[in-house]
Amino acid sequence: MLLKHVWGILSEPRTTWARIRDEGWTIPDLYLRVVVPLALISPIAGFIGTTQFGWQIGAGAPIKLTVSSAAQISIVYFGAILVTLFVIGALIYWMSDTYGSSQPLSQCVAIAAYAAVPLFLVGIFQIYPVLWINFLIGLPALAYAVYMLYLGVPIVMNISAERGFLFSSAVLAVGLVALVGLLASTVVLWSYGLGPSFTN
Amino acid sequence: MSDTAENYNYKVVQQFSIMTIVWGVVGMLVGVFIAAQMAWPQLNFDIEWLSFGRLRPLHTNAVIFAFGGCALFATSYYVVQRTCGVRLAFGRLAAFTFWGWQAVIVLAAVTLPLGITSSKEYAELEWPIDILIAAVWVAYAVVFFGTIAVRREKHIYVANWFFGAFIIAIAMLHIVNSAAIPVSMTKSYSAFAGVQDAMVQWWYGHNAVGFFLTAGFLGIMYYFIPKQAQRPVYSYRLSVVHFWALVFTYIWAGPHHLHYTALPDWAQSLGMVFSLILLAPSWGGMINGIMTLSGAWEKLRTDPILKFLIVSVSFYGMSTFEGPMMSIKTVNSLSHYTDWTIGHVHSGALGWVGFISMGAMYYLIPRLFNREIYSVKLIETHFWIATIGIVLYITSMWISGVMQGLMWRAVNDDGTLTYSFVESVQAMHPYYVIRFLGGLLYLGGMLIMAYNVFRTIYGPAPAERTVPASA
Repeated sequence: MLLKHVWGILSEPRTTWARIRDEGWTIPDLYLRVVVPLALISPIAGFIGTTQFGWQIGAGAPIKLTVSSAAQISIVYFGAILVTLFVIGALIYWMSDTYGSSQPLSQCVAIAAYAAVPLFLVGIFQIYPVLWINFLIGLPALAYAVYMLYLGVPIVMNISAERGFLFSSAVLAVGLVALVGLLASTVVLWSYGLGPSFTN
Repeated sequence: MSDTAENYNYKVVQQFSIMTIVWGVVGMLVGVFIAAQMAWPQLNFDIEWLSFGRLRPLHTNAVIFAFGGCALFATSYYVVQRTCGVRLAFGRLAAFTFWGWQAVIVLAAVTLPLGITSSKEYAELEWPIDILIAAVWVAYAVVFFGTIAVRREKHIYVANWFFGAFIIAIAMLHIVNSAAIPVSMTKSYSAFAGVQDAMVQWWYGHNAVGFFLTAGFLGIMYYFIPKQAQRPVYSYRLSVVHFWALVFTYIWAGPHHLHYTALPDWAQSLGMVFSLILLAPSWGGMINGIMTLSGAWEKLRTDPILKFLIVSVSFYGMSTFEGPMMSIKTVNSLSHYTDWTIGHVHSGALGWVGFISMGAMYYLIPRLFNREIYSVKLIETHFWIATIGIVLYITSMWISGVMQGLMWRAVNDDGTLTYSFVESVQAMHPYYVIRFLGGLLYLGGMLIMAYNVFRTIYGPAPAERTVPASA
C-alpha cells in the first residue's frame, strides 16, 4: 500500500507508532512505498514554483530559475532528502545501544521517515517560493515533527519514556548538526559553480 | 547566619549571583531593543545615545561581561571553595572584585551610550576603565589561586583547571589587546598599527569566546552537571585530555575573523586549520557532558534544571560544529558580515552560555540562601519559552544570513551587481521581526527567572551552614 500509515501518523500518532513497530519493515519497502513518494513533493513543488511563479525582492520583477537549472537543483535536492533520512536513521541505530534498545536499522530509518511527515507535506507550499512565508509555515510543521519524534522514539525503540526523552534529544542534536553540515556543503558546492542560473 | 572563618564565604557568591540575574535582564532588554531597531529603525528616535551603533556595544558588554562575568565570578568562587574544602582566601580582596567589577559595568553603561569607545570589538571600553578591569582581574586571580594554594583536598578538581585557564588567559588577552597610548581621559590610540592591530584584536576577540565564554563555562559544566545529575563525570581522563587540547588550540583560531583581508594568506589558512582542529576538543567536552547527564535519564523528565543543562550542552555541540564550518574560507566568503554570524554567536550565547548559567543559578541560589526554590513549574516555563525563543532566533538568522550572502554576491551577465544594498536590507525585514520575537521570548524567560529567584530569596528563613571537617 502506497503511503502506508501516513494518514494514521497524523490522526492517531500513538497507535500508529506502535503499529509501525509491530509490523516490521525492510528498507527498500519503506523507501519505495513511503519515503520516495513523500520526498518527491517538495522538489516538484519547488521546481514549479521557481520556474513558473518565482519570487520578488523589493519592487523588482519576479526572479525565476531557468528550467534546466531548477531541474538540476530539484534532482540534487531529492537525492539529498533520501540520503539525509537514511543517515539520520543510521545514526539512531548507532546510538540505540547507548540508550538500551536493540531494534533493527529499518525501524530506526522508519522513525526518521515518519517523524518527518509534517515537513514532507508542507513542502507543497514551495510552489509559492517566498522564503519567509515558507519559513512561517515550516516552523509549526517542524514543531509537530519534533513532537512526533519525542512520541515515537520510546514506542518504536521499546524503551521507557524517560530514556526515550534523552534519546530523542540526542536525535534532535544530530539533526541540527546534519542541517548545519548540509548548509555548509551547499555553500561550498555553490561557490564551485553548482549554483542556480536565473532567467533574465 | 554567621559569616565567620569557619564558614564558606557565600556572601560574595550571593552578590555575584544576584547581579548575574539583574545584568541578565538589563543586557537582554537592550538586546531586544536593538533587535527591534533593526526591524523598525525609527526606534532610535533621532537621539544619538539611543542609536544602534552605541547601544550594540552596550548590549554585548552587558551580556558577556556583566551577565556572563558575574555568573563566572559566582560559580568559580563557589566551586573553588567547595572542591578545595576551604573558605575563599583574601575575603576583602574578593569583596573588591565584586565592587570593582560592578563599577566597571556601571562605567561601561555610562560611557558607551555617550560614544566613548576604543572601537575594538568586545574591548570598547577606554583606557581608565581598562586599567580598573586589569586591577580587578589580577585580584580575582589572587583570590582564586590563593584559595587553591591553601586547599585541603590534595587533588585539584577539573572544573578549577578550566576556571584557572580562563582567568590566566583573559588577563593576558585583556592586557595585551588594551595596550594603548592615551591622549585624554576619554580617548586613546591602540599601541598596534594596521593589520597587526587587527590581528591582536581578533586574537583577543576569538579567545574572549574561547576562554571567557567557553573555558569558564566548561568549568561551570564540570561542577554543576555532575552535581545536579548526582553522577560522576563520565570520563575524567577525557576531561583532562580535552582541557589541554582546547587551551592549546583555541589561541590560534583568531585569524578566521580576518579571511580575505590584508592579513597574510598563510595566517588566514593557519587560523582556518586550527579552527577545524578545534572541533575535536570541543566535542570531547560535549560528549563528556552529555554522557554524564545520560546516566541520570530517569530524572531528566521531571527535573527542569537538568533540561537546561542538557540543552545547553547540545547547543554547545551544535555551535562548535557550526564554527569550524564557518571558518572554512569558501563558506566564510559567503557567511562573513551576514546575519549567519549573528545567528551562530547567539546559538552559542543564548543556547550554551545562557542556559548553562541559568541552570547553575537555579542550582546555586536555593543553596546559597538556604531556601527551597519558589516554583519548579516556573523553571519549566522558563525553559520552554527560552528554547522556543532560541529556535526562532537562530533559524531566522540562518535564512537571512544566507540570503544576504547570496544577494550581495549576485551579479548580472554584464558584471553589474544584481541587487543594491538597500534591497537586501528590505528583504531582511520579516526575519528581523521574527528575530525580535525570539529575543522577546528569551527575555521573557529571564524575567520569569528573576521573579522566581526574588520569591525564593524572600521565602522562609535560612538555617546555619558550616564547613565540614576535613576527612
